[in-house]
Order: sequence, then C-alpha cells, then structure tokens
Amino acid sequence: MSIHVAAESHGEDPVAARSNMLLGVKLGILSEVMLFGALFAAYFVIRSESGGWPPDGHERPELLLPGLNTLLLVTSSFTMQWAVRAIGRGEVARMRLALRLTLLLGSVFIIVQGYEFANNGFGLDAGVFGSTFYTLTGFHGAHVLAGLGFMAIVATRARKGLISAEHHTAVEAASYYWHFVDVVWLFLFSTLYVL
Amino acid sequence: MTSPRRHFWIAVAAWVVLSVLGIILVAGIQVLPEIASDEAVIENSAFVLLTVLSVPVLMFVVVGLVYSAIRFRATDDEEDGPPIHGHRGFQGVWLGISFALVIGLFGYGAKGLLDIRGSQTSDFEVQVSAEQWAWNFDYPSAGVTSKELHIPVGKRVHLVINSTDVIHSFWVPAFGIKQDAVPGRPTQIYVTATVVGTYPGLCAELCGFGHTDMHLTAVVSTQADLESWLSAQPSESASPS
Amino acid sequence: MKPGLLRAVLGAVLGVAVGLGLLALASGAGLIIEDGQRLGLAYLLALIGFLLGIGAFRFWLTWSAGREVDPAEEHAAHGRAGDWRRYFRFTTDHKVIGVQYLVSAFLLFMTAGTFAMLMRFELAQPGLALGKEAYNSIMSTHGAMMITVALISIIGGLGNYLVPIMIGARDMAFPKTNALSYWLLPLPILLVAINPLLGGFDSGWTAYPPLSQQANLGQQAYLMAFVTVGISSIISAINFLVTVFRMRAPGMSLMRMPIFVWALTVTATLALVATSVVAGAFTMLLFDRVLGTSFFRPSRGGDVILFEHLFWFYSHPAVYIMGLPGLGAILEVVPVFARKPLFAYPLAVLSFISIGVLSFMVWAHHMFVSGMAEFFHIPIMLTTELISVPTGIVFLAALGTIWMGKIHFKVPMLWVFGFIWAFLIGGITGVYLADVPTDITLSDTYFVVAHFHYTIVGGTIFGLFAGTYYWYPKITGRMYSERLGKLHFWWFTLAFNLTFLPMFWLGIEGMRRRVADYPTNLGGVNLFVSIMAFNIFLSVAVFAFNMVWSWRKGPKAAPNPWRAHTLEWQVSSPPPVGNFEHIPTVSAGPYEYGSAAVPSPGRPAP
Ligand code: HEA
Ligand code: HEA
Ligand code: CUA
Ligand SMILES: [Cu+2]
Repeated sequence: MSIHVAAESHGEDPVAARSNMLLGVKLGILSEVMLFGALFAAYFVIRSESGGWPPDGHERPELLLPGLNTLLLVTSSFTMQWAVRAIGRGEVARMRLALRLTLLLGSVFIIVQGYEFANNGFGLDAGVFGSTFYTLTGFHGAHVLAGLGFMAIVATRARKGLISAEHHTAVEAASYYWHFVDVVWLFLFSTLYVL
Repeated sequence: MTSPRRHFWIAVAAWVVLSVLGIILVAGIQVLPEIASDEAVIENSAFVLLTVLSVPVLMFVVVGLVYSAIRFRATDDEEDGPPIHGHRGFQGVWLGISFALVIGLFGYGAKGLLDIRGSQTSDFEVQVSAEQWAWNFDYPSAGVTSKELHIPVGKRVHLVINSTDVIHSFWVPAFGIKQDAVPGRPTQIYVTATVVGTYPGLCAELCGFGHTDMHLTAVVSTQADLESWLSAQPSESASPS
Repeated sequence: MKPGLLRAVLGAVLGVAVGLGLLALASGAGLIIEDGQRLGLAYLLALIGFLLGIGAFRFWLTWSAGREVDPAEEHAAHGRAGDWRRYFRFTTDHKVIGVQYLVSAFLLFMTAGTFAMLMRFELAQPGLALGKEAYNSIMSTHGAMMITVALISIIGGLGNYLVPIMIGARDMAFPKTNALSYWLLPLPILLVAINPLLGGFDSGWTAYPPLSQQANLGQQAYLMAFVTVGISSIISAINFLVTVFRMRAPGMSLMRMPIFVWALTVTATLALVATSVVAGAFTMLLFDRVLGTSFFRPSRGGDVILFEHLFWFYSHPAVYIMGLPGLGAILEVVPVFARKPLFAYPLAVLSFISIGVLSFMVWAHHMFVSGMAEFFHIPIMLTTELISVPTGIVFLAALGTIWMGKIHFKVPMLWVFGFIWAFLIGGITGVYLADVPTDITLSDTYFVVAHFHYTIVGGTIFGLFAGTYYWYPKITGRMYSERLGKLHFWWFTLAFNLTFLPMFWLGIEGMRRRVADYPTNLGGVNLFVSIMAFNIFLSVAVFAFNMVWSWRKGPKAAPNPWRAHTLEWQVSSPPPVGNFEHIPTVSAGPYEYGSAAVPSPGRPAP
C-alpha cells in the first residue's frame, strides 16, 4: 500500500511539484531580501553616523570596473530570461546557448569583482568603511557564485536531455534567483559606489 | 436548570464584587520600596494605576474560568454543548473595552514619560562614566572627580552617562531612574531628588562577571553641604567636560 | 558504509580535521591564525561533513549530476512503519521528523532545565557557591537552550507530525528539506552544550556587543550555533507555508483550517521574515570577532545600539514565534473537551494575523533604557500595548468556548486552564513593562524574568504539554496514564507559580537579572523559589516517566478517543505511512460540535 501511496503522493504530481517549487523559491528569496535588508540597514545607519562618507582617509573604488560589472549582470538577466522563454517553447538547444551565455557573463562578473577586491588598496579591517563595503559586496558575491553553481547544474541536466518544455522548473527557479541577485547588485552599485 | 442569562449575570455579579474588593486592596499602596525623587513618584503612580486596571481584567478571566469549572462540567459522555459559534455583541464589547483600556494606559504612560524625560532644563550637571567594573563622577562646574555621586536636593540634575568599555546601566532604585551607559555614545537622564540621604545604586546591564558587584553610592545633600563637599575634594587641573 | 549517524559523526570529525589542517598549513605559510578562525572553519566543515554523512544531500547530488534518483532508495528514505532505526536516519516521513523534533526538544528542555536547577542552587543563598563566571555561563546556556526549545518544540514536533494530516495531505511539500531542517540542529545544539569546554559564554542569550566581542570562544560557539538554528527554522518555515497554501485537501478552505494550523502558518511567516535579520546581525558580530570588521566596535566608528535594534527586530517576533504555536495548541484542545465549537473562530484567526503584523512594530520595547533615539519611546509604547488587544482575543475565544460547554477535565484540558491563568499573568505584567515609566525601574530586574517565564512557560510549555497529552494517543497509538498526567499537572502548576510569582516581588525590591549574588535581605524568598523550582524538576520527571512507560506499556488507543472532529482523528492511531488511503474531501468546519448536521464524532472517516 505504501508504495502506491508514494506513487500518488503530492510530491510526485508534476504540476503540483512545479508550483510548490516555485512558491518555495519565492519565499526563500523573501527571506534573502530581509537578510540584505539587515545589511543595508546597518550600512545606512553607520554611514549616517560617521562624519562624511567615505570617512576621511578612505576613498571609493573607481567606477569603471563596477560600471562594467553592472552592465554584465543586467545583460545576464536578459540572457537568463531568454533561456526561460526558449525552453518554454521547447527549444532546448537555444535554451542551453542562453544558459551558457548567462554563466559566462556571471563568471566574468565574479572575476572582475575578485580583481577589484585585490586592487582596492583597503581591506575588510579598514574601519566601518571596509567592513560595510566588503561585507555587502561579499555577501552578494557569494550569492552570485551560488547562482552560477545552480546554473551549472541545470546546464548539465540539460546536456543529459533531462530538461524539456514540460520539465523546466529548475530553469525558472534559477531565473527567479538570478534576477534577485541582479536587483541586489543594482542597489549595491548605486549606494556603495555612486551615491 | 439555570438559563444562560442567569449564569451570565451571576458571574458578572461575582466579578464586580471581586474587582471592587481587589481595587480597594491595591489602590493607593506604595509599590516601589523606596521613593526619593519626583521621577520615582511618577513611576509609583503609574504602577498603582496599572495594578488597579489589571484587577478587573484578571478577575474577569479568573471568574470565567472558575465558574465554568464548577457549573459546566459534563454530566455524561455523549452529549455536546450548544453549537454557539460566537456572539457579536459580547465580542464587540470585549474589543471596545480592551481598546479603551490600552488607549487610557498609553495616555497616562506617555504623560509620565514626558514628565520624566521631557524637558531638557537642569540646574546641575554630573558626568557619569562607567567602566568594568566601577563608576566615576565628574562635576564640570567644580572640576572635581569622585567615586560617589553627590547631588543637591530639590534641583533637577542632568546626568550625562558614558562608558569606556562595554554597556553598563546606571540605576539608583530610590530615584527610579535607569539608563544604559553605551560606549561611543553619551546618554542622558534627569533626576530631581526630594529626600536628603544616602542611596545604593547598581549596574543593571550585564557587563561581564564583575557585573554582580558593580555598585555605587548616591548622596543627596542640601546645596550648602554639596558646595562644601565639592570644595573639600582634591580639584584636578584638567577638568573634563 | 550506508549513510547514518555513525557516518555523520565520522564526517563531522573529518570536517574538523580538514579545517584545522588547512589552517595549520596557512599558519605554516606565515599567516597569523586566531583561535576564533580555527573554531569557525572547523565548525563549518564539521557541519557539512555531518550532513553529508547523514545522507542529507545524496538525493540532490544525484539530481545535480543528472542521474535519476531510484524510487526504491527514495522510498527507503521515507522509512518503513514500525522500524525504530528510521528515527536515527535521514528519514523524510513527516511523522518521523515530527517525533524526532519532539523528543529532541524534550531532551533539550530537560537538559536546560537541569542548568536552571544549577542556577537556583547558586541563587538559593546570598553569597557565591558556583562562582560568578560559572553562573554567567550556566545562565546564558540555559537561556540559549530554552529559546531553542521554545522555537522548535511545537512547530517542529507537533506541527510536522500533525499539520499535513490536519489539512489532508500525505506529507510536507518538501520532505527532504524537512529532514534537512531537523538534521541541521544536532551539531549547533551540541556546540552550545559543550561551550564550557570553550571557556563558556557569559553575555546572556542577547549577546550584546562589545561584551560579546571581548568574551571567549564559547561566545563565538553560541553565535555560530544560533545562526545555524536560524537557517534551519527558515527552511522549515518555507516548507510549512508551501504545504499549507498548496496542499490542502479538496474542501479544506482557509476558514475551515484547524486553528492550530492557522497559528503555525502565522508563526512560519514570522520565522521566514524575521530570522534572516538576526542571522545577518550575528554574522556581522562574528565578522567583528573573526575577520576584524568593526560594525559594532564603537572605538572604530561602529554602533552598539544598531546591534540591539537588529537583534530585537528578530527577537520580539521570535517571542511570538515561541508563543503562537502554544496559543494554537490550546485553542485546538478547548473545543474538544468543552464539546462546543471554537468561540469567535474568524476573530481568533484575525487576531493571530494582527499579532503577526504588530509584532514587527514593537521590537524597541526591549530598549526603553538603552539610550536609543528618543522619538522611539512613545510610538513603540503604543504599538506594544496595542498587541494586548489581539492577544486578548485568544482569551475571549477560550473563555467563550468553555462557557456553557460540557467540560471534560481530561489532562489536556487541565493544561488549558493552567495556561489561561499563567499566560494572563505573563501578559498583564508584559503591559507593565510596555509602560515606559514603570519599565524604567523594572527593566533588567527579576520582574522581567518572571514576566517572560510566565509567558514562555505559561504560553509555550503549557501549550506544549497540553498538545503532547492531547495528541499522544495519535502519535504513539497508546494512552498515557491519566493519573500520572494529573499528578504532573498539579505538581508542575503549583510549583511553577510558587517559583515565579515571588520573582515579581524580587524584581520590584530591586533584584537584578543575571547576577550570581544579591542583597542578604532577599535570601529567604530566593531559598523558597529555589525549593519550588526543584519541585518543577520532580514534576517533569513524572512527565518523562509517564511518556516513556505509556509508550511501551500503555493501553492501546482507539483512532479517536476524544471524539474530535479534525481530520487527524479520522485515521488510525498512529496514522499509516502516507496518512490517508484516499485524500479525503472536507465538507464541514473543524469544530462542529453539537450541531445536528454534523454527527459526532465527526465526518465519516475518509
Ligand atoms: C512567549 C513569549 C512572550 C510573550 C507572548 C510576550 C508578550 C508580551 N511581552 Fe514580553 N518578553 C519575553 C517573552 C514574551 N513576551 C521575553 C523572553 C522577554 C525578555 C527578553 C530578554 O531581555 O531576555 C520579554 C520582555 C519584555 C519587555 C522588555 C522588558 C525589559 O527588558 O525592560 C517588554 C516591554 O514592553 C515586554 C512586553 C510584552 C507585552 C506587552 C506582551 C504582550 O504580547 C502581552 C499581551 C497579553 C495580555 C495583555 C493578556 C491578555 C489580554 C487581555 C485579557 C485583554 C485585556 C487586557 C488589556 C487591555 C491589558 N516583554
Ligand atoms: C522556554 C523557555 C524557558 C523555560 C521553560 C525556562 C525554565 C526555567 N527557568 Fe529560565 N530563562 C529563559 C527561558 C526559559 N526558562 C531565558 C530565555 C532566560 C534568560 C537568560 C538570559 O538572561 O540571557 C532565563 C533565565 C532564567 C533565570 C534568570 C537568570 C538570571 O537572570 O540571572 C532563572 C532564575 O531563576 C530561570 C529559572 C528557570 C527555572 C527554574 C525554570 C524551570 O521551569 C525549569 C523546569 C524544567 C526542568 C527542571 C527540567 C527537568 C528535567 C528532568 C526532570 C529530567 C532530567 C534529565 C536530563 C537532564 C536529561 N531562568
Ligand atoms: Cu556594569 Cu553591569
Ligand atoms: Cu518583546
């Protein structure tokens, strides 16, 4: 009996499974929003209390590389969405191409970020400025890496032909997450680097 | 067989009697063990008001419980109670009363708060600084530092509180004032002592294992006595402020 | 070797070894490595090793590698009925996970309670017995552990076991994530338990910096453990919400959900939204300790009050994450033993929701004397006192149901009555603390200690006991001993009240929290309190015995011994794997007692 139960249990029903998964991802993102909310709150409070920002003795990194990075991430959001549209229409090959593009863009972002970290000339322990800067960008970077990892997994599954117009929840989930990471970056870029 | 109405009114009667008795019991008592400042007086009155209002709330629930426990026991195993899903009127009254209570309490509390912390005027200032695990008091006006807090009676004293290491909390129970000492951000509190005497004070925020015996002494004296005490102190050249 | 506890332990040890090894290499390469960093990396890798060992990731790993999980494996992971080993494995059946949570929570409760006994031993007489440092560590550990108990016991234990059955589902939405959320807990809890070996932690569960920055490794252990527990409760919250919103049986409309499910839904929402904030705050604090940042280092531009704000922004909702499940369990029990529909059910649901919303606007009532910005005081005082109104509704619902009912004083109902008294005292004294003028004197005294024991013990623990007795037949398939249950109730309730009522007086007399010593004139009362506290200990021992003994020897329980109407009672005790042979169709509300339309004991079993 239990076998038959497992067979007909909700988890197995693809439609239900899909909507469950996507709702789960959305809720997960909600709690992530709160996490970054806390980090940003800390940043703004500390910033408002220090005399000027950046505190004297510090200056912000050049805008060139971060600007480039912003471009990369925004484009990657589009390629990601392209992947979702493609698989929705069942065009697996095109979806894989779009996914690879997104992976590429994201990886370049990480590399550039790493280079910037290495050449900023100030560290995590450089007072509140370094603390907030690296903690916020670092947390975001970790999320980018996680997103890339997830995409890599989706890519392998796609290569094995496990992803189709009917079964592509993973792609959608990845896209939600990726857009979220992208939006967070836009906030980071405008508050940490520009404003 | 008692009717629902009858049950209700018996319970209400019991509630009224018990509430009145309770209120008579608690009204006008002094809650705080020692009162030596205007602030403590305000707090004590807030305390009494809260207690007076809590009595009917407490009694209402208790009477409901006890009465049901006595009168509404199941006689046999099968029968169910009446299928009552709610009672608009009763729910409305309940909501209305608890709102009213809350607003009343809030109004009184807000007034008390403003009386305690509202105005920024003061006749005398003392710089309090806390460290693990001791208190130091600076008197900018006289350029004197001491281990005891000395303040004049009947004057509104402004205490500016600092900490050099971790969070402490300045508390003199008899004055009814408590204020954390936060490193990197001075905090303030005002007190108007009303009774001459010597009062114990404590650190009220966990600040390491020395917290347990981080005490202080507060001395309230007449302006004249305070002057002479200040002049008797070894006044340091670099007066802090 | 098959995945299991043994392999998990090996994995953890391996993790520690790798972590320390790496850092040893690093320091060999000339880097300066602090103990904090050692502990951090070792713990992180140990956690991963543990989870790998228990088999938490194997399904996701096979999935990631693009291999199909074979159903036999999956089904084995789901656990065969009657096999005791499944309780020590990575089992995905929600009923197994529920029992795992519940039993662990009670063991933790007993351990933390034993710590409390040590505290009461120190406090029995003025002067020092264990010493200040030891006392602070014991006190903090007691608090940390008990908070964990209150956070996981009802929602993790009873919730996991019952919610899917109550809404007519076969399991939670994500069974594997569910198991993961449980297996995330053992390591951090162990870490907190052994923190004395790491030098103890003496900052209390609130861990305010700068004290928590200068304190020793045990402090860091607590911070890391807290973050891990937080992650666990976030993912279980997601699981609950998806289950409740997506997997209700046909006919189970939102307003037909048992009130207990409603309570847990609001609880899960709070946990989901609030927890990551404190996780962030504790991470910043950890960075300050381990990576040299200065978020909360005043000497270098950091802000101490900021931490308090972030901490309480979580930790006040957290007190309702602890409280609401208790309230839900109570309101679930009342109609069954009063044989009357739950009074004002819609209003009660509304009150839970508004409690949830309000609890995000009151956090600063823990900071009235902290030196926060002046403009907070008045609005926060208002919102805090406003929470009394929705919380009052819970009492309205309970009283209204009991009134004119046909009350059966079985053990669960006794706990309901005890709850109403205790939580009322806790709530009303909460209003004393919400009133700034009185809080200025009462803050950080034993008045606060008494308040929150009346709310947490009176709310959560009384609710937990009520629920445990009520659902015991369903979970174990056997009846507990009514007589021992009554003994436990009366002994615990009397001892509890006599322990914590005097603490209000102690607080007013000026006894501070978190001190190992106190003025001699308070000696008598404290001795009395300690003796009563020890009575609580004995009564809990009775409970423990009753539970264990009845599980093995108790008389077999009928499917529905209480003639209750909710779904979980319409299936066998304990329910079969998969809960229902066919998903039921719900045709009536959960509490239709006394109505001719719905014959007792409720809907015909599906
Ligand atoms: C389950 C846990 C729980 C619950 C439910 C509550 C409920 C409440 N708590 Fe409590 N609280 C804690 C756990 C809890 N608390 C803990 C753990 C601490 C200490 C943390 C630490 O520092 O370590 C704490 C500390 C604490 C403080 C800080 C004290 C200080 O440190 O200075 C305050 C201040 O406002 C407060 C207030 C309240 C209020 C107003 C409620 C309200 O929700 C109560 C509402 C209920 C009622 C009022 C009773 C029923 C209502 C009626 C019958 C209606 C009619 C009544 C009226 C209109 C008054 N609590
Ligand atoms: C769920 C929450 C919870 C619960 C249930 C309790 C239960 C108890 N608490 Fe706790 N307490 C807290 C949460 C809780 N506490 C918190 C959060 C703090 C604040 C810490 C801080 O300031 O940071 C605190 C602080 C605190 C203090 C103040 C410390 C101080 O400020 O200096 C005191 C003092 O008496 C105390 C006492 C007790 C007692 C006597 C019990 C009793 O009810 C305990 C009863 C239970 C038992 C006695 C267990 C019995 C066990 C067996 C019979 C079996 C034995 C078997 C094994 C050991 C496996 N607690
Ligand atoms: Cu200083 Cu406590
Ligand atoms: Cu609170």
